[in-house]
Amino acid sequence: MKKVFSFVLAFVIIFGVTGCKSQKKKYTHYTFDYFDTATTIIGFADSQNEFDKVCGKIEAKLDEYHKLYNIYEAYEGINNLHTVNKLFDGQHKEIPVDRKIIDMLLFSKEIYNKTQGNTNIAFGSVLSIWHTHRTHGIKNPDKAELPDYSELKQASLNTNIDDVIIDTKKNTVYLANNNMTLDVGAVAKGYAVEMIAKWMREENISGYILNVGGNVRIVGDRPDREKWTVGIENPNNTENYVELLQLGDSALVTSGAYQRYYTVNGKNYHHIINPQTLMPNESYLSVSVLSDNSALADGLSTALFNLSLAEGKKIVASMDGVEAMWVLPNNKREYSKGFKNYIMDKK
Amino acid sequence: MRRLKNDLILIIAFVAAVFVVFSVFLITRKDGDTVKVKINGVTTAEYKLNQDFTTVIDSYNNGKNTLVIENGRVYIKDADCPDKICENHRPISKSGETIVCLPNRLIIIIERSKGENNPDIVV
Repeated sequence: MKKVFSFVLAFVIIFGVTGCKSQKKKYTHYTFDYFDTATTIIGFADSQNEFDKVCGKIEAKLDEYHKLYNIYEAYEGINNLHTVNKLFDGQHKEIPVDRKIIDMLLFSKEIYNKTQGNTNIAFGSVLSIWHTHRTHGIKNPDKAELPDYSELKQASLNTNIDDVIIDTKKNTVYLANNNMTLDVGAVAKGYAVEMIAKWMREENISGYILNVGGNVRIVGDRPDREKWTVGIENPNNTENYVELLQLGDSALVTSGAYQRYYTVNGKNYHHIINPQTLMPNESYLSVSVLSDNSALADGLSTALFNLSLAEGKKIVASMDGVEAMWVLPNNKREYSKGFKNYIMDKK
Repeated sequence: MRRLKNDLILIIAFVAAVFVVFSVFLITRKDGDTVKVKINGVTTAEYKLNQDFTTVIDSYNNGKNTLVIENGRVYIKDADCPDKICENHRPISKSGETIVCLPNRLIIIIERSKGENNPDIVV
């Protein structure tokens, strides 16, 4: 009897210890349907079915934010930012919008103040000129051209964020300058991702990573070993990732010169436009921001891209729980004070 | 003496059990890394990273991307997309790394079943 008991005990110990601690498996889902970029959802779930259900709900939310924050397309039955940007007989109108738009715009005004105007959603008139030239240049590389500087300069006169009039009682938005338009490209993705992460927490969904075009939001620890491993792409495109980070519940946003660009006379022009020079800033190859808020990380990464290293470091140091890494054109890296705490030890 | 014999049986059983578990692990373990091809989110092909291979992928909207696996590295040799970001992307070789072609809605990803230091995601 004792012998039998020993055997049973031995097996229980062996299988108990070496068997799966967590029954959850890692699943991955990709989609191209939102924010004009690639979205990745990684999650630990009990089954493919459970994972698919969560992805379905996340996608429904992404779809809603994508439509509301879209400046390029109109959707039937919704007032979105395209509607806000529209001229009716040459005039902007006061547009009633969803609260999700109001809150994102209010947040964008906060970011504007925190970044000395370097992340400006009222910069649409300048960015749309670059957008048109870039889109045309990508389609017709032989005819790619730079925007006319005087045209950019003229457009930059219509970028005052105080002309974005938000009525939080009536839930309306009005642009008080008929030559201005909104471009929320530096904030909207991160804001949407943060709102979805918030919803996931409320639903007790944990052990997930959302990546919407470089806006990475980690929701909860990795069930089997707490920390997730996140690589930051090498912008120089020659070797492996520049850095491997070990992250728990947090947001990491990387703005890179290599993500969206076009080529004119053999030179690449990327999509992050400096509000002072009105040209793509060439100080960095990429800037990554770590924070517990993906909207803040998104808005900051654009601002840091346009600011000097000293100014950028000052802003990062002034914010609680925010860290950043700059990759310089010579591939050297600069870090904020605490960033290195997240870098994985190299073996 | 009898107790020693029992202990011996227990130890042998223990070792045998460990051996069985380990063998099962080795047999079910995937051999090397997998190169997955996903078009518009759906996996359309899988290849071994350690086998050199070239193919033309029929991507979204009749797009074409030429995939090359060579010496444990994967890259896009040629593509008909307008921005050529996939073509200009450096070869990838580590699990978690991806090459994305946005216009052709194509993702090439390297996956490994096990491994401690492989990133969950590279951005």
